Amino acid sequence: MRFFLVMACAVTLPAIAGAADHGPIFSYATPVNSAREFSFDTGIFGRSGSGGTQLSTGSGLGYGLTPHITLNAFLPATFGSGPLPETRIFPSGEWSAGASWRFLHSVTSVGKRLESTASLAAVVPGPQADSGVLAHLHRAPGVAGTLATGLASRSQYLWAGSGYTRFAEASHDLRPDTLSWSGVYGYRPARLRRGADQWDYRGLAELTGEHTGDVRAQGHLLPGSSTTTLWLGPSILAIYKDVAISGGVQAPLFRDASTALYGQERVRFAINFSYLKYSSHVSSH
Amino acid sequence: MKYTVALTSISLAAMLITHAGRAEYQQVNLTVFGMDCAPCAHAIRVSMKGISGVNTVDVDLNTGLVGVKLAPGNTAELRQFNQAVEKNGFTHKDAEVVARGKVSGTAAAPVLEVIGTADQYALTPAASATDVAGLVGKTVVVTGVLPQVSKGKVPDTLRYKTIAEAQ
Repeated sequence: MRFFLVMACAVTLPAIAGAADHGPIFSYATPVNSAREFSFDTGIFGRSGSGGTQLSTGSGLGYGLTPHITLNAFLPATFGSGPLPETRIFPSGEWSAGASWRFLHSVTSVGKRLESTASLAAVVPGPQADSGVLAHLHRAPGVAGTLATGLASRSQYLWAGSGYTRFAEASHDLRPDTLSWSGVYGYRPARLRRGADQWDYRGLAELTGEHTGDVRAQGHLLPGSSTTTLWLGPSILAIYKDVAISGGVQAPLFRDASTALYGQERVRFAINFSYLKYSSHVSSH
Repeated sequence: MKYTVALTSISLAAMLITHAGRAEYQQVNLTVFGMDCAPCAHAIRVSMKGISGVNTVDVDLNTGLVGVKLAPGNTAELRQFNQAVEKNGFTHKDAEVVARGKVSGTAAAPVLEVIGTADQYALTPAASATDVAGLVGKTVVVTGVLPQVSKGKVPDTLRYKTIAEAQ
């Protein structure tokens, strides 16, 4: 019953988009779609460590219901395998659908705005099996929520965000809860604050962290399966009118994870392509 | 031949009368707050171009200025320009307009009517008062400022800088 309820939510609600549109690629941020705007995202997200490399290709779809509410969905596919820990801030193998609500939107001057956005999504395991210790678990849907707040301006960007995901239990197995957080600073140099018809570039420094709880298998907690990691790295975002391309790489700053269970994850990287289809609809007389 | 000349003259006169009696926004310059990047400008441009009668849209991200030029004979309303900004999550401040309209009301309380739309504004001078008493009932070209009002509303006053009878 719980499964069907969550599935129903997946259809009627929306998902968390950590890396999408014209925001940072690894971190949580506040932008949402314009009213009636469609956004299409597709990217390659990689995690590499001593146990192997895992690549995910994710495709996201967003639709602006109002200027402050966006419905979104994310469909992933994974390639390769490695005994890597659970992650939710980084796209992995779950399908998700949800909504983002920009509940605070303060626009007080030219080129600048302060805003906060909350997201809620249903998360459903995709058809592909997980790898490592997660591969043998029965899987069940979950719920993910995020909260991001920050500043966007012509010169600087600053966002902080946090997310939490909880999965349901399935046949006495339970994937770990994850708590993730991020902070990102972006800068656009003066000579790149150009016209609307030119390429728009900005550089970002992205700090992300994640704590995953213990894995429960057949009713028993797996010793040493909890992890805490902190990642830092640069990313670049280039935008031209309705097209955005971003790429970035991160290295571990702090890592508390069992090497025996998960190997040693060394690098994360991502490339994302976005197409933003704005609506020209304005009501007539 | 006489018939053709007469018909052409009547048609031309009818066009001139129609044009003199018609009114429209010729240019609308909005200051928009909150646009930080190229997609913001692109979104505004796409939305403005969706308004029937809009010819060109220029967006300057560094000043926040959105300049819209309109074709003669358009029936675009101010609320449509406001909506084009608000649907993209931005806010607009005062709008500078060049509009053609008919002055109605009284000499003491003149009103600019934008024929073909529901827009009408009480005319108040922005600085030194220009005598509009002699313009009541005539078609004029006005440049002036429409002050910012709350979201979803249209101002009821136009602070005119220049006003002259349309040629």
